[in-house]
Amino acid sequence: MNNPREITRVLFENFQPQAIHLFYAIGYAAIAIFIYGVYVQIRKYRRGKPDGSWGELLHRFIDMVKTMATHRTLVRRDKSAGRAHGLIFLGFVLLFIGTSVITLEYDILQPLFGVQFWYGNFYLLFSLVLDLAGLGLIVGLIYMMYRRKWLNLPKLDYKRVDRQEGDPDFDRSQYRREDWAFLWSFILIGVTGFILEATRLVWLSGRPTVWDYRMWSPVGALLAHVMQAVGLTAEGAGSLRSGLWWFHGLISLTFIAFIPYTKIKHIFTAAASLMFKDPLAGKRLPRIPDEQKTAGYKTITDLTWKNLLHLDACTKCGRCQEACPANAVGAPLSPRDVILSLREFANHALSAKELPKEAELDIHGKDIGQVFMETLWSCRTCLACVEICPVAVEHVPIIVQMRRNLVEAGEMEPLLEKTLQTIHKTGNSFGESKRKRAAWTKELPFEIKDARTEPVDVLWFVGDYASFDPRNQKVTQSFARLLHKAGVNFGLLFESELNAGNDVRRVGEEGLYELLASSNIGTIQACEFNSIVTTDPHSFNTIRNEYPDFGGKFEIEHYTTMVKQLIEGGQIKLKKKLDYRVTFHDPCHLGRYNKGYDAPRDVLKLLGCELVEMGRNRDNSFCCGAGGGRIWIPDPVGTEKPSANRMKEAGVIEGLQVFVVSCPKDLTMFEDALKTSGFEGKFIVRELIELIDECIEYEVWEDIPLTV
Amino acid sequence: MKILVAVKQVATLDEDFEIRANGSDVEEDFLLYDLNEWDDFSLEEAMKIKESSDVEIEVVVVSIGPDRVDESLRKCLAKGADRAIRVWDDAIEGSDAIAIGRILAAVAQKEAPDMVFAGVQSSDQAYASTGISTAAYLDWPHAAVVADLQYKPGSGSAVIRRELEGGMLQEVEINCPAVLTIQLGINKPRYASLRGIKQAAAKPIEEVSLADVGLTGADVGADSSMSRVRRMYIPAKGRAQMIEGTIAEQAARLIQIINEFKGA
Ligand code: SF4
Ligand code: SF4
Repeated sequence: MNNPREITRVLFENFQPQAIHLFYAIGYAAIAIFIYGVYVQIRKYRRGKPDGSWGELLHRFIDMVKTMATHRTLVRRDKSAGRAHGLIFLGFVLLFIGTSVITLEYDILQPLFGVQFWYGNFYLLFSLVLDLAGLGLIVGLIYMMYRRKWLNLPKLDYKRVDRQEGDPDFDRSQYRREDWAFLWSFILIGVTGFILEATRLVWLSGRPTVWDYRMWSPVGALLAHVMQAVGLTAEGAGSLRSGLWWFHGLISLTFIAFIPYTKIKHIFTAAASLMFKDPLAGKRLPRIPDEQKTAGYKTITDLTWKNLLHLDACTKCGRCQEACPANAVGAPLSPRDVILSLREFANHALSAKELPKEAELDIHGKDIGQVFMETLWSCRTCLACVEICPVAVEHVPIIVQMRRNLVEAGEMEPLLEKTLQTIHKTGNSFGESKRKRAAWTKELPFEIKDARTEPVDVLWFVGDYASFDPRNQKVTQSFARLLHKAGVNFGLLFESELNAGNDVRRVGEEGLYELLASSNIGTIQACEFNSIVTTDPHSFNTIRNEYPDFGGKFEIEHYTTMVKQLIEGGQIKLKKKLDYRVTFHDPCHLGRYNKGYDAPRDVLKLLGCELVEMGRNRDNSFCCGAGGGRIWIPDPVGTEKPSANRMKEAGVIEGLQVFVVSCPKDLTMFEDALKTSGFEGKFIVRELIELIDECIEYEVWEDIPLTV
Repeated sequence: MKILVAVKQVATLDEDFEIRANGSDVEEDFLLYDLNEWDDFSLEEAMKIKESSDVEIEVVVVSIGPDRVDESLRKCLAKGADRAIRVWDDAIEGSDAIAIGRILAAVAQKEAPDMVFAGVQSSDQAYASTGISTAAYLDWPHAAVVADLQYKPGSGSAVIRRELEGGMLQEVEINCPAVLTIQLGINKPRYASLRGIKQAAAKPIEEVSLADVGLTGADVGADSSMSRVRRMYIPAKGRAQMIEGTIAEQAARLIQIINEFKGA
């Protein structure tokens, strides 16, 4: 039996003291370069505006560690890449810990306290784990190389959608080169590490404390046998080793020094970005502080440090671009490009010692790093980008903040401008008289209570589309009948209800939003009720997530949740079952915004429908194109509308009868798209309420039959 | 350098409105107020001159009307006007466009601007004479329906293009100071964001009485006007109906209607 103390790796074995000193000097230099880089980055972030995300640090930290350890966000919608990254991540972390452990013993514990533990069984286990970690790292890297070279993934093509061929930063080939340099240098570190290990084994093959335990580093041992087989002698291995040692050491140290200057920094920025993730990002947009004169982001220094950090966290994975409906229909918008443009801008403008002049910090315009107005107006604030980003980049708040600046400067579509003026004047986007808001109630055979004058249990916030659009009024009436039939004690705000402001806010007209929100909050607060219900997911979102910031904390439900309870509780009796083959479109503001994925599906099941999902469903639902105020901006002629794109997706479902929606704007968008995309007669678009309506028998009055 | 822009808060009708009992006007409850559309363009024209000029130019908006008009003036301030003046006295109630012109002229005399802009007309009353009567009281040159303006601040004349019938333009050189009534489409008016309007609340609006501009109640109001509104009413509707159904059904119904008429 060997003395366990001798079963270890002697560090710097056979090195001249000068060589060791030289190595340490290079090591310190690398660390100094690293620290300077980190300093420059932090100085950059500090040039951003403050952000209040410091609360609950421990909680945030734990969440971040969980996300990183499970790679939960990385495996979504790209399993192989996520797993490969997992291998690289795990390999890197273990090798980093391993190196730190050695440093801890060799440079700190042993010289200061004479403590030693890196020998014997611990050493052997350590060798085994690190060997496997290194193997995982290399396997992961090889997959990533294969993926970049042979899979031809559109999301890995960095060509910009908002610029033309020939524009200076059109193809972004610099990023491609960086990706490859990263992969090659990383894999080189791994491979030379193994060769180094093997040469050491061959070199010390005569020493039993080394050779007898070689199988604890299986990869190294395998290589060592191969080397011996091709005739490498112990002596030859020894001299080969010293050269290789320096090569491996130098690229490793260079790698470390380069971290803050290259994409490798995502190790830190992505982790920090995840840690400062805002669970309500985009769902609750930031308020403009009362004392602030200007609105929105005009210059790069208007961004908060957190925004700047998010810019650096982006790993260019392209998941956001792939999910973006605007991008899918060829609009000049890729959420990734917005982030990268601003990142390049920030790196250029904020990394220097002195801050450039104000005029050079303008992020709006047509120059390199600036974001086009058309790009910003293409966004439908559907949140698909924010939702899928593996490193918690929050695109939508930045886009809306930039739009706020455009609105302030009046740089928007004339039609949108008109709509905003109309909303200001009449309180609704239809330009109708306030008095007509509840005109749809006139055709009902019963009176609806006025919640402003008498207490009710449920306050129904109807919303503009459900109130004024003739097609949606039918649905609104059905819902009123349903509530009435179920015996719900409900009431309306009648002409006091104003546009809830969700889309006005997402357009970037914050002043108008404040006006609408505070007026509605005042009106609602003056009523006596228990909870609010709405059929409009847009109103639902802003009342639920944004009104609290303005002092309006209310209990609110989307109707799907309420109806589900009414059916399950027996207040609504279904007199027949439907046997339709249906598919369901998740409205952005109900699904992604508020996680209301299940209630509408459960209701469909209760009705007896056979639900066939579209490929893009639930969190990956594809926006109808109406969000973010885009319903007020005409789509350019000759391009596909997102709603038409969605119709095609539904069209491939065999035997589909009904395309079910649960949002007034969806009904408008998709009925229109059904006609224009040639699926008319193949299937129909219905609001979920209409299907429920079919199953309820109303004794008192005749119903317009809605049959398939 | 100063440009005076006369603006008006106009009323638009709400759906299903009612006429006041005395028939003089629409019931106040059914009126929605907003800045006259033409005035957006005349203010923008003034702002364009201000913004492209090297010399300091003050843009002053003036309006005649009660408190509620402040809201429209604030919108003008939000768009960049330097000052706002509102003239009001209960005696002004019932003034026609000519009497209003007299007040505006009095304000102009006091302010001594280099140019006065007004809209071609107001969208609610559509007399199209306020600007012109102002010029008459001032005894200044004037031009109506201006669709293009070339004016160098401080120069003694301006070249304007007036819109005539049949798409014709008339190019006129006019001596300054002058009163111009500005036509829609001469420029692209800027958007006044709600935040801008809110912030403009900090800029004061000068409230001016008749006496401040050297007039008395006897100079204005219905009695000093050259015209009076006798009544407002909705003419009886003609009878029209949509004929629905298939082409054959429609034709049959049409024949039936014609026969009914012949028989009557
Ligand atoms: S919110 Fe939607 S439309 Fe806007 S950038 Fe993100 S994915 Fe694209
Ligand atoms: S923003 Fe997020 S999802 Fe988009 S490319 Fe960057 S890391 Fe990927």
